[in-house]
Amino acid sequence: MTKPGPREVMAITTTAGVPVDNEAASRIANSIGPAFDGFAAIAGTLPFDLEPASYLLVQNAEVSK
Amino acid sequence: MNKHSTEPALMSLVAVAKAIADRKFSSREVTQSCLNRIAEWQPRLNAFMAIEAESALAAADAADAALARGNSHGVLHGVPLAHKDMYYDAGKVVTCGSKIRRDFVATTTSTALQRLKDAGTVRSGSLQMVEFAYGPTGHNPHYGAVHNPWNVDHITGGSSSGSGSAVAARLTFAALGSDTGGSIRMPAHFCGVTGLKTTVGRVSRAGAMPLSQSLDTVGPLARTVEDCALLTGLMAGADPEDLTASTKPVPDYMAATRGSLKGLKIGVPTAFYVDDLDAEVARVLDETIATLKKEGAEIVKVELPDQRQLTAACQLVLATEAAAFHKRWLIERPQDYGAQVLMRLQNGLAIPAVSYLEAMRWRGPALAAWLAAVAGTDAVLAPVAPMPAPTIAESDVGNSIDAEAVIQRVTKFTRPINYLGLPSLSIPTGFTRAGLPVGMQLVGRAFDEAMLIRIGAAFQRTTDYHQRVPELS
Repeated sequence: MTKPGPREVMAITTTAGVPVDNEAASRIANSIGPAFDGFAAIAGTLPFDLEPASYLLVQNAEVSK
Repeated sequence: MNKHSTEPALMSLVAVAKAIADRKFSSREVTQSCLNRIAEWQPRLNAFMAIEAESALAAADAADAALARGNSHGVLHGVPLAHKDMYYDAGKVVTCGSKIRRDFVATTTSTALQRLKDAGTVRSGSLQMVEFAYGPTGHNPHYGAVHNPWNVDHITGGSSSGSGSAVAARLTFAALGSDTGGSIRMPAHFCGVTGLKTTVGRVSRAGAMPLSQSLDTVGPLARTVEDCALLTGLMAGADPEDLTASTKPVPDYMAATRGSLKGLKIGVPTAFYVDDLDAEVARVLDETIATLKKEGAEIVKVELPDQRQLTAACQLVLATEAAAFHKRWLIERPQDYGAQVLMRLQNGLAIPAVSYLEAMRWRGPALAAWLAAVAGTDAVLAPVAPMPAPTIAESDVGNSIDAEAVIQRVTKFTRPINYLGLPSLSIPTGFTRAGLPVGMQLVGRAFDEAMLIRIGAAFQRTTDYHQRVPELS
């Protein structure tokens, strides 16, 4: 997964309707970069049929020690 | 007889509730005792957002009159409490620690708060917090930093900063906090109190200020595990006002406090949670393990999946959901946010929807992998943070380029648990040589708060860290 740089941040936030200036875009890119790096091994690898609601199935399953 | 043995404010929640019920103290005496301590400590701590002495004493008198007529409203009849200023209380100003909601008057009462009121509690005021609960240190640019009663130059942790500080200084017997990325466990650890982050869905969030709908949890900070057990038992359970609240039966948490450690297996991670620890936190971890062993628990090593991925996923979810909640104000009132909270909310605007949804889709497999890794254990023991409370000065990073790195380091050990939605109990487990508290967290299976309460209560029966009281210097 490619993390957004300042230019991408400016484009995305403008699209989101809350544009930010150059300085803020650099700060945002620096802040969220580690999250993209940390999730890179997972991004783009999840199986087709995996629903977000699978979390509730796992959470509510009876798990014994 | 020393001062401590005669001051009702120094009792535990369970003990003071019983003392009022048994007419050993009136609600007025107890409330006045707390108000006296608030008057002494508030100038040093800034823990309260609002102190409501007059109405608290009037409510205490009403509670005493009701009890004299034989009418007890519940197990917390006449007990004064104050909570994090994000729980809606109809007719009261609820600032959420913000300038934007400085004058917001709630028209409803949160379910968690109402259930405590139904048990008879008296409101003594409201407690400080980080702006919109979005920060782990306790700084607040609008209302000032909250100070740690063990050393006022140090942070309380956040975002339930006032809750941690006020419970530690014995200004309130307990307080509601909220935990989205560590906001109950962090102040519990830094301030030397007990805090229970509940399973996602265990306690209704209706009427609690939202930050991240997938991660937000409601829970108590209190002096003892037993106090947390009582409060959680009162608050937990299904709620027609919050359909994400689980319909699973609520166990008898107070019964769980009486269990022993014999026959229990407690896992200690082999990596991540034991890496890069401050030397004193590492020492306290070793001492905690030794105590648990001595009390009959078996300690086993557990190899967990890569926790950095959980932290990253947590950040993607939290930032996106928080930005969505705040989008209207980000457009209309950006100037009314503090610099750090504004920066962090803007972070969420830059996360593509697909990245957010991938992080949400991975939550099930990630939880399954954790459960497989801890199979055979009853709970996992880990530090709450790699360090004891930093100073206010060194952690006041605002929106600087280093801000996110500082936040990440403080929340390193709490965020993975939020992403998994698991319960986690933070208990006081020692002190540094400089006198700052150190806590450890016990992480359990979903909806198995009872096991954490059993272990925590057994630990507190054999240690006295939770009973130590900071002195006003």
